[in-house]
Amino acid sequence: MFTAEPAHPDLAVEVVDLHRRYGAFEAVRGVSFAVRPGEVFALLGVNGAGKTSVLEVVEGLAGADSGSVRILGADPVTERARVRPHLGVLLQSSGLPGDLTVGETLHTWARTLTRPRPVGEALAQVDLVSRTGVRVRSLSGGERRRLDLALALLGRPRVVVLDEPTTGLDPESRRTVWELIRDLVAGGAAVVLTTHDLEEAEQLADRIAVMRAGRIVLAGTQAEIAAGRSATIRFTLDDRGLPLPDLPGVAVAVGPPHVELHTDDLQSTLAVLLGWAGEHGLDLTGLQARPASLQQAFLAVADGTVPTAA
Amino acid sequence: MTATLPAVDTSSNDLGSRGSARRRVLALAAAEIRLLRRNRTAAVNSVLGPVVLLGSVAAIAASNGLELDGSSFIASAIGITLILVAYYNLVTTFVARREELVLQRMRTGELTDGEIVLGTAVPTLLVTLLQVLVVGVGVVALGKWSAPVDVVLPLLALLGGGVLMVVLAAASTSFTRTVEAAQFTTLPLVLAATLFSGLLVPLSDLPEAVGQVFRFLPLTPVIELSRLGLVGETWTGQAVDTAGAWTAAPLPLAVLGGWLVVGTVIARRVFRWAPRR
Repeated sequence: MFTAEPAHPDLAVEVVDLHRRYGAFEAVRGVSFAVRPGEVFALLGVNGAGKTSVLEVVEGLAGADSGSVRILGADPVTERARVRPHLGVLLQSSGLPGDLTVGETLHTWARTLTRPRPVGEALAQVDLVSRTGVRVRSLSGGERRRLDLALALLGRPRVVVLDEPTTGLDPESRRTVWELIRDLVAGGAAVVLTTHDLEEAEQLADRIAVMRAGRIVLAGTQAEIAAGRSATIRFTLDDRGLPLPDLPGVAVAVGPPHVELHTDDLQSTLAVLLGWAGEHGLDLTGLQARPASLQQAFLAVADGTVPTAA
Repeated sequence: MTATLPAVDTSSNDLGSRGSARRRVLALAAAEIRLLRRNRTAAVNSVLGPVVLLGSVAAIAASNGLELDGSSFIASAIGITLILVAYYNLVTTFVARREELVLQRMRTGELTDGEIVLGTAVPTLLVTLLQVLVVGVGVVALGKWSAPVDVVLPLLALLGGGVLMVVLAAASTSFTRTVEAAQFTTLPLVLAATLFSGLLVPLSDLPEAVGQVFRFLPLTPVIELSRLGLVGETWTGQAVDTAGAWTAAPLPLAVLGGWLVVGTVIARRVFRWAPRR
């Protein structure tokens, strides 16, 4: 059945040492990652890091200058006809004829697919049933994005590529999309998504890669990425002029009255702190304790202030 | 968010078979026809425009010494509708779909590149065919109809010409950045095709060397084949019967075929699916 030998036939997506150039500018400089069925892989990075350039090759819309991309073992460009029935793509921005209704748009797309889902079911999943008869040009931005998503998922794809799926969505629509992605993965699909939203990555992704200047500079599970980063404690101290207690191994990032502490041992530091506050009858207003987060890791590498071994 | 997604078969990476090209093209064409019907201005223009044009062309052609019998008129209608309706409308349609990011989206699905271009072009080609039929019916109604020498050659001209317009329009989108710009970017081909194809000025009225050169322009073989079959007249104005028409047909058929090949190669190289960033 296969014309080429995939290195790992059980992988949904396999990208090996991908390079892409636009003239003299090298937008993607050796990116590798793999996604298994039933897994969400999130590609993070600031604008211009090369995320969309990577996705375009995965989607089969552009060829690689070097390196290889395999979708379900097949090349998305040269074997496009075999890959496409299994691939669902949501572009960062794409258009729809404004004078077709939501229902007509989905029916038209369904007729181009090998195994389309019922249109009514697709509409229900993105909460657009009540908008079936409305022309696309009359939809709100969020409704259009949800229609985009319904189109991407209409062919029951086994591999789903979502370029910034929730950018510009209101919080409720964003939750709808998240639930949909979780359903997809529970059904065994592999999802590759890009996002600017760290919460989105934390909520959805099994594994995360952070890109900077065309390279993946940080990759792993959330726990792996956060490991080695400090937990954060924040609170506001009543103005009593009392110095903070002696907290071994804790860095005071911001001093009183608005305090931010960084610690590798969140539980013991908190215990000491709460004991001290109780002893002196202090209010630690707005007390927050956060474990080491993706955000810290992201901010540290995404802007290039911290060098990392890729 | 009530229904859950059905599980996909992940048991193997067997990619299986896919549906038919005809169904995909028809789906796209049906949507495009619906869009054309909803755009009243475009719909009216595409029907009324050619009627006005044909009247003008008939007047110019007659004043240039072309005999305006019913058969000549139908042959002219084929050329006029192809270049002024099909070509121009196809350029604007392709550019509009590209600039509104519709082409890029359609490329993310199961449609092949050729199917997207063809499906988008079908309504325009149908309108073109309809207009030639309307002219034919008008000619019959006016009692100007005379039996053609051959029907296959004009049909080949119409079919080949239709596909050629799709290909040339696709190539022309590469230097047409907006729908408005199409008014100018289509001019060179429209002018060359109408002025030098024997549509307005009979090629037989030109010096033979010039006429021979013009025979190699893209629309000329369409006019030549149409006149051979419908009027029974070669490009030099010589009357022929069915056998004579076919004897004169190989060169224009080859020129038409050549333009189809060259046009397709160029269109595939230069066609852009997304706006310039």
